[in-house]
Amino acid sequence: MPKIEVQENLFNSLLGTPYTDEQLEAVFPVAKAELDGHDVVEKLYKIELNDTNRPDLWSAAGVARQLVSYRDKTIARYDFFSTAEEELDSEGRRLVVHESAALVRPFSIGFAATGKVVDEDILLNLIQSQEKLCNNFGRKRKTIAMGVYRSDMITYPVHFEGADPDKAHFVPLHMDEDLTLREICAKHPKGLEYGPIVADKPVFPFLYDDANEVLSFPPVINSARIGAVEVGDEHLFFEFSGTGLDDLLLAASIVACDCSDMGFTILPVRCEFPYDTDYGREITVPYYFQQPAACDLAFLRKMLGDALSGEQVVEALLHMGVFALVDEKMVYITVPEYRNDFLHPVDIVEDVMIGHGLENFAPELPNDSTVGRITGEETFARKVKEIMVGLGFQEMMYNYLGSKREYIDNMHVDGSDYIQIANPMSENYEYVRPSVIPSLLESESVSGHAVYPHQIFEVGKVAFLDDTDNSGTTTRNYLGFLGASSDMGFNQLSSQISTLFYFLNREYVMQEIADPRFIDGRCGKLVSKGVEVGIFGEVHPAVLESWGITMPTVACEIDLDLLK
Amino acid sequence: MEIDVRNLHPLEIRLLRHVSPGEAVTAQRLIDELDYKIGQCNQAFSWLTAKGFLEETDRKFRTLFELTELGQQQLGIGTPAQRIFNLLKTKGPASLPEIAEALALEKSDVGSAFGMLSKSGACRMGEGNKAEAVTSEAPAEVMIAAKVLEKASVEALDESALDEEERNFVAKNSKKRGAAGSPLKIIEREEVFFALTDAGANAKAALLAANITGEELGSVTTSMLSSGSWKQASFRPYSLNTPPARLIPGRRNPYGSYLQWVKDKLCSLGFEEFDGPLVENEFWNGDALFMPQFHSARDIHDVYYVKNPSHAKQIEEPYLSQVAQTHENGWSTGSRGWRYSFDHEFTRRQVMRSQGTVLSAKTLPHAKVPGKYFGVARCFRYDQVDATHGADFYQTEGIVLGEDVNLKTLLGLLKMFAEEVAGAEEVKYVPGYFPFTEPSIEVHIKHPVLGWFELGGSGIFRPEVTKALGIDVPVLAWGLGIDRMALMHLGLNDLRELFTPDIESVRMRRGN
Repeated sequence: MPKIEVQENLFNSLLGTPYTDEQLEAVFPVAKAELDGHDVVEKLYKIELNDTNRPDLWSAAGVARQLVSYRDKTIARYDFFSTAEEELDSEGRRLVVHESAALVRPFSIGFAATGKVVDEDILLNLIQSQEKLCNNFGRKRKTIAMGVYRSDMITYPVHFEGADPDKAHFVPLHMDEDLTLREICAKHPKGLEYGPIVADKPVFPFLYDDANEVLSFPPVINSARIGAVEVGDEHLFFEFSGTGLDDLLLAASIVACDCSDMGFTILPVRCEFPYDTDYGREITVPYYFQQPAACDLAFLRKMLGDALSGEQVVEALLHMGVFALVDEKMVYITVPEYRNDFLHPVDIVEDVMIGHGLENFAPELPNDSTVGRITGEETFARKVKEIMVGLGFQEMMYNYLGSKREYIDNMHVDGSDYIQIANPMSENYEYVRPSVIPSLLESESVSGHAVYPHQIFEVGKVAFLDDTDNSGTTTRNYLGFLGASSDMGFNQLSSQISTLFYFLNREYVMQEIADPRFIDGRCGKLVSKGVEVGIFGEVHPAVLESWGITMPTVACEIDLDLLK
Repeated sequence: MEIDVRNLHPLEIRLLRHVSPGEAVTAQRLIDELDYKIGQCNQAFSWLTAKGFLEETDRKFRTLFELTELGQQQLGIGTPAQRIFNLLKTKGPASLPEIAEALALEKSDVGSAFGMLSKSGACRMGEGNKAEAVTSEAPAEVMIAAKVLEKASVEALDESALDEEERNFVAKNSKKRGAAGSPLKIIEREEVFFALTDAGANAKAALLAANITGEELGSVTTSMLSSGSWKQASFRPYSLNTPPARLIPGRRNPYGSYLQWVKDKLCSLGFEEFDGPLVENEFWNGDALFMPQFHSARDIHDVYYVKNPSHAKQIEEPYLSQVAQTHENGWSTGSRGWRYSFDHEFTRRQVMRSQGTVLSAKTLPHAKVPGKYFGVARCFRYDQVDATHGADFYQTEGIVLGEDVNLKTLLGLLKMFAEEVAGAEEVKYVPGYFPFTEPSIEVHIKHPVLGWFELGGSGIFRPEVTKALGIDVPVLAWGLGIDRMALMHLGLNDLRELFTPDIESVRMRRGN
């Protein structure tokens, strides 16, 4: 969930009137936002945005726009968008994408902004937008990288190409040294962080102007000169590079609308591609690329369970800042320039729901009569638990992930059929539990202070490799139980197993086996109807020693899925 | 003060009834008169002084003499001096070696005994170095020895009760340690004197009034029952306030009991349980839920991958094709899709189930309509383990399928959960976001103890989810934050505690 910080003064000026914290908390659900905190000393709101599909909300201007729409039933109008039909004058500002870019990062677009002096709040906002759009929406700059530059230093057209990483060079931001692109990847902190995105490509993305002044090495780092925007700058150029044109156009639209809301005049830039795109070879940015969306009113009413009138639907959408028209059958919407989250008519339904106010829908109980039941496994597990409790055992519940030490080393087994995690966060959670017995022994190893005798059990899941399954693994419901005390031994265990099987009404025989977990000649497998269903025995002193257990211990484990 | 004499032990009762105020009470007296063992005396004294019924009035040191084995022997056959005098008197003169041989005595013992006899004038050494008796009666010393041994055989001799002659004999014939060669052993003993206090006197009176004798029966025995002996006696009342001994019962884990209660509750509301394997693949864990393959929650830093086998053998058709096309262009779901090229290799990659919604998705292809389902599913997240994050944890999730389910019935369902499962007083709904539902609703409840908190998330499954899995009716999907309520129920505040291996901690745990 993206979290943003919003300057109180800037936010209030965008809202028009200041809100109390209580008012904000009350109205924030409209933007699926939560007020995480209000730092009255730093004059800062901390806001969490829950909708990962609404990057337009991840800024002060974005949240304010949604709240103002809802409050005033207004639709934000922006006049700087070109469309397929109408191209605005870019006044000679051009961004030329070269053929070589296709080898590494096929798209780059941009626009310029002017007419407002960048102050501290605006600069912080732009930096935050860049971070949220590129990290959260642009998958850590993989699909979207955004750069802000000093437009007045640029000689148009700007060029975007795939450059030789060992020849192209410039002085990167926050450094004094002139480095090649490859050197930047090795030396600059941002190079170390984002260089890997392009490191395996034959050419690296390179942005420079017509006077050969370097703007940046997207998606890694700006230049120290044109790329060093500061408080006091008034003329800005925004560039977005990446792998998908729609995402880039949306990001550019969001930033352009935000800048416009903050007082900038947006200046279009004509972006030229040497190859066909969904919107042609020449796109003037900001560009309105969204398609109109529509929803069947009957479907909408069925989904909401409410016979809203066409007017109510239009008004609800107006609250959301979405322009809509209705006829007898359908509602048609014009998707706002800064949004691209209408994938399906249900997305319109949700906006109607929020715009109409969730409190205006009265809860109703579902009418359908259905039969409740637990699974057969659960039914059997409960029977087993009841018997184990009757035998004097304490039920335990354990984690299903553990370490090699617990599941393999301490158990003196090879673990060849155990499921291993490929990307463990720590060696403590590297294997999936193949057996309940290590869990029980861990209990014993940390419970020397508990009054003896110890009799514990768990009915839970285990999983291990099984080539017969599509996944190559199997998950089973197991019963494991353990007894530990100075006089605990084979005879008592044998009686308990006998009692358990009697009350489960299952036949069994014990057959001798050799198992390194148990003492030879004092362990065996349990066979029921010719199938091996379990194992039991006195735990081998070598295993007890590995666990640091000094109490005689017996254990048994039964596959309940086989016994059921 | 009211004295509850029913709680007194028989040893206390008999003592109190036996002694009178002003009398000295000693261990010896109880041994003599009540047939107590010395240990029982000490118990009775210690209990009664603790209760303030007896007080110590004096303590005296006494020196006692008791017979050794040798003394016992001499008591029977006489002391060496007595035996020598008798021999000489009856058999006539004899040499000392002859005496030693005839009486089976050590020569040195014969020497010292004869020395005493001749000194007292009762014997003398005659002709031919043969000893002979002089007087007709044995000397006084011999008589005293016999008398002392006789008395000591009845009870240990108290030094203060001996006359001078006796004391003389005792002094010569007793030792404190290494007394095997002497007929008497010296024992020093401290004797403590007790007397009834006023409270003790009251207790005695109360015992007499209540007719409690101390002869009442203790444990009921089989022989008592079969012989009917209990009919002639009464039973000793037991103290009700003695701290009971601890028992370790067989017991359910209270967290397990809570989850079972939740399951039963959901069953009672018409939900059928589902379950599934711990190892899943990207298809069911994300793709089938219309989460794009590039979604941030599907990152290597959010999900545990299975090392080997890293991929499932295959994904069920037609669901694979339908889901893949839905991602790419919406297929026939009415959606425009995510517009990217679906990765058929990635979708087979195996992960540890990261969300319970997987089981909801897997239930859809064979779900009944109308139908209600739920599951309590163990899930795994790539998270730093702390008080609010476990490596694995339970999620409680479910779905409702039906021609007529909609937003209002979703709100109704959430209200029912809030009231029935969480005991909420007030319910509040806010728009939420989940990749697989639209619209999405979060339900917040006001709990009598916790105040306002988020009970769960829900929504109507996106048609991209349901249609691709062959379902044409709306499906409500919901999840409840059961663990938070479980912690509260158990009085805990750390998620790790739910799966603690500590036996004592689980044994002592109670639900609210």
